[in-house]
Amino acid sequence: MAKATLGNMEIEIDEDGFIQEPEKWNQAIAEDLAKLEQAYPMTEEHWKVVNYLRDYYLKYEIAPPIRMLVKQTGFDLKKIYQLFPSGPAKGACKIAGLPKPTGCV
Amino acid sequence: MDIKDIGKDLDRLVKIDPKELIPLPHPYDDPSFEPPIRELSDEQKMRYEASLDGIVAIGIQRPKTRQEEETLIGRFLSGLEKLLSPENNWTFLQPLYHSLEYCVKCQLCNDSCPAYIASGKKEIYRPTYRPEILRRIINKYIKKRSGLVLKLTNSDIELNWQLIARLGELAYRCTLCRRCAQTCPLGVDNALISHEIRKIFSQEMGIAPKELHESGTMQQMKTGSSTGITPKAFANIIEFMEEELEEKTGKSIKIPVDREGAEILLIHNAGEFMSWPENTMAFAIIFDAAGIDWTLSSDLAGYDAVNYGVWYDDIQLARIARRHAEIAKALKVKKINVGECGHAHKAMIVIADRVLTGDLNIPRESALPILADIVLNERIKLDPSRNNFHVTLHDPCNMVRLMGIVEPQRKILKKICPQFREMEPHGVENYCCGGGSGFAIMQSMNFPDWRNAVSGRIKLKQILEVFSDIISPDIKKYVCAPCSNCKGQIRDIFNYYHVFERCNILYGGLVELIVNAMEDMKQPFIEWEWR
Repeated sequence: MAKATLGNMEIEIDEDGFIQEPEKWNQAIAEDLAKLEQAYPMTEEHWKVVNYLRDYYLKYEIAPPIRMLVKQTGFDLKKIYQLFPSGPAKGACKIAGLPKPTGCV
Repeated sequence: MDIKDIGKDLDRLVKIDPKELIPLPHPYDDPSFEPPIRELSDEQKMRYEASLDGIVAIGIQRPKTRQEEETLIGRFLSGLEKLLSPENNWTFLQPLYHSLEYCVKCQLCNDSCPAYIASGKKEIYRPTYRPEILRRIINKYIKKRSGLVLKLTNSDIELNWQLIARLGELAYRCTLCRRCAQTCPLGVDNALISHEIRKIFSQEMGIAPKELHESGTMQQMKTGSSTGITPKAFANIIEFMEEELEEKTGKSIKIPVDREGAEILLIHNAGEFMSWPENTMAFAIIFDAAGIDWTLSSDLAGYDAVNYGVWYDDIQLARIARRHAEIAKALKVKKINVGECGHAHKAMIVIADRVLTGDLNIPRESALPILADIVLNERIKLDPSRNNFHVTLHDPCNMVRLMGIVEPQRKILKKICPQFREMEPHGVENYCCGGGSGFAIMQSMNFPDWRNAVSGRIKLKQILEVFSDIISPDIKKYVCAPCSNCKGQIRDIFNYYHVFERCNILYGGLVELIVNAMEDMKQPFIEWEWR
């Protein structure tokens, strides 16, 4: 497993840059990840998505279905791709410190 | 390239040059648009075995010492020996033996393989290439044929770690679509040989793609789904779907969960709930309107039909198959119906027959014939003119070639889609989407580039060809793919080549089209936007 310095902290990441220690996640780490995913500087709209994903993950140990994300944030998929060019999973979820999506998704 | 080259001391045996891939039709006929296949970083090359073609599917960690290499070679050989014994491989020994012994090397199967053809006929992807390596290893190291015989028959091979690592990766350059097996006049199944190599790696060497094993079958047994959906998250998702259903239909439709004694336990691929909930919602709308007596299960793994074991590991396969059957038994349902998921059809309906005995051998069927019955016998009111766009059908290999479920989905489309057209070839002659056998979910490093550009290439070519006269983005077109894995792969190819933007081709399942044609829907069910 590779290590990266994010938010002035050494943290384990997988081959695709997802952090492996979700409990260490904080805002500074999110902002450093956002730089790598062309989602920087992070605006209020970025944070709205990231915070929603984070809260859902803490409650259910999984990312919400994309449709739920769209509905709850009020942003359509196009808007989400504008905010996070690498998409809801590889962009937004990664920045929110969620594990890489798995299964047939 | 010769068979023996597989063990050569080279950094990589073959390089995939996008310019050598077979050409795509308009608007992709300019090869300079072809995206490059990403190179691994130096660090990744140091860490993982990538000397086959510079692509990493499994992510085999490179052994650090000679000792480690020797141990792995030993485990490979003892695993191979087990593969050939009835006590250890009673599931697949008979067809394996047949395929090893009866191939007359006529090479008729070669042109049926989408990966081999799309690659510009790269020798290593030839469907007879990997079986021949395995055959030679068996002759020399298991049957201990004499050196002189091997020399005279020009079938010698020198085993080393590099060869084994490459053979492992090579088993993941075949989508197990079995088009070669269908073409073979003797019924030799070269895809089965890829499958059996994967088994040695997983069951005997502890090596499997992370997406299939650790975050796949292991996670499914632990949390309930390879997507990570826990029973608690499942309950939340169902609640969300019911709200959505009310908004979409104006009716309050209850999704039955854990209803004892129902006629049908419907099990979806849980990826649908995450990425394509309109598919699971459409099932609910149709079953509700047709008065079907059905239920979902919220039990651990009861809401996820996937069984990735069918691609790489018999033991994992058996564990999950049993789990599914136990859930159905506890719910006292009459039968299980599998939703739009191809490999779950194969695992649960066909292969599980070998592991489910006694009262666990509950009837297990595809959902497609029920849908055909509902549509063809007009158990719901349909207005086909609502599907006012062009539609073609992709045939998932497991449902169609393997199981022979060819007609129900066609009869449905012919009834509800006035502008339906078949791609060529289709039915049991279909081409794989390129994401079969787990490829569609293997997202790590540069493997997605390979499956988008190489294994999925013929499928993209077919889709562009069937719509060639209406390829303009002004005209709406829809590829119906009644399988989650195929949908994921088609989505990824379309993203890779910007097909939705350039050609206005949307993809989706079958039930969405049925609901889109339902007379009492206030608004179109299919939202014409990218997902």
